[in-house]
Amino acid sequence: MSLHSNHPYHLVEKSPWPLIASVSALMMVAGLVKWFHDFKVSLFLFGVVSILLVSAQWWRDTVREAAFQGLHTLKVAQGMRWGMVLFIVSELLFFFSFFWAYFHSSLSPTSEIGAQWPPASINGFNPFQIPLLNTAILLASGVTVTWAHHAILENEHSQSVQGLLATVLLGGYFTFLQAFEYSESAFSIGDSVYGATFFVATGFHGLHVIIGSTFLCVNLWRLVQGHFSSAHHNGVEAAIWYWHFVDVVWLFLYVSIYWWGY
Amino acid sequence: MASIMSRNLLRASSRCLHTTSYKCADKGMPLPIEHATGLERRELEAIAAGNENPFDMRVIKRVAGATKDSPTEVPSAFEKRIMGCVCEEGATSINWMWLYRGQPKRCECGHWFTLVKSNPV
Repeated sequence: MSLHSNHPYHLVEKSPWPLIASVSALMMVAGLVKWFHDFKVSLFLFGVVSILLVSAQWWRDTVREAAFQGLHTLKVAQGMRWGMVLFIVSELLFFFSFFWAYFHSSLSPTSEIGAQWPPASINGFNPFQIPLLNTAILLASGVTVTWAHHAILENEHSQSVQGLLATVLLGGYFTFLQAFEYSESAFSIGDSVYGATFFVATGFHGLHVIIGSTFLCVNLWRLVQGHFSSAHHNGVEAAIWYWHFVDVVWLFLYVSIYWWGY
Repeated sequence: MASIMSRNLLRASSRCLHTTSYKCADKGMPLPIEHATGLERRELEAIAAGNENPFDMRVIKRVAGATKDSPTEVPSAFEKRIMGCVCEEGATSINWMWLYRGQPKRCECGHWFTLVKSNPV
């Protein structure tokens, strides 16, 4: 075969996605500003749809390069894994800032909110009702996803599909319950710093649950399609790390905001 | 991480290929090496054949007192390759140079190097 190099690294071919992705991201955030100031949501929606389309096509290309072209050598796979680890660390720092904001306001509540937490007249969610069920759901999903991973390592295709499917369903159940809670809430995001910290922290968490469930779903599809082997399934592992991260963030949310803050 | 992958691979290939393959097929997933394609597959096949360094990326220890007549051999699949000489232990800079097939070269520290043909993965 004609080769110009003999190294394990993947020098990617020219692609339009990075540029279009950055333009889409700009449209999304500019659209947010336009929504807030002018009450017009079209630019934001256009940006979101654009980002979704670019993500699907960029990652589709990555799957093609990996599973079908075999360009993901051990070194490339290592790089991908480090990339996912660093990304999750950045997300951890992202959530850290919301926890900082929450504790800043809740540890010494100001006189404007009645010098108490929860603030005067705010009724939070009873931590021993749906939030506790949600905790059980996410912990169970951690078990099912670990089951799925072990099944892949043991070449048990059918069990790995069952495990991933169970995880996706549990994730969907969590999202459904949380949406129900949001609709039944006695307070809104505008209800003092309590509402702001509550909905920003749990809201971003919910978004991450949806993203994590989608990631797991895509991996379920790829598993069924036969893209993975017992020694090479970095997509699954990345999704599992992300899912465990989402689970851990929920545990912190539950203990700090739902339980301690009740 | 990568070691886990190759450990799995070696574990699978240490058994009889037919038996392992059959057991894998029974459970619905192929052997990792059968599943791979392209460069990834060639890398795995090279490792399975015993070549732990298929891309010639490891540091090569210089042959002691290498001279023009017995230079340190640097493998390459091509007509030229960049290489770096770490002239002494703990040196803070590397002396990089191009090596061309058929032209042994001397580093400033006195060591000789020559390019040797090796097969690409």
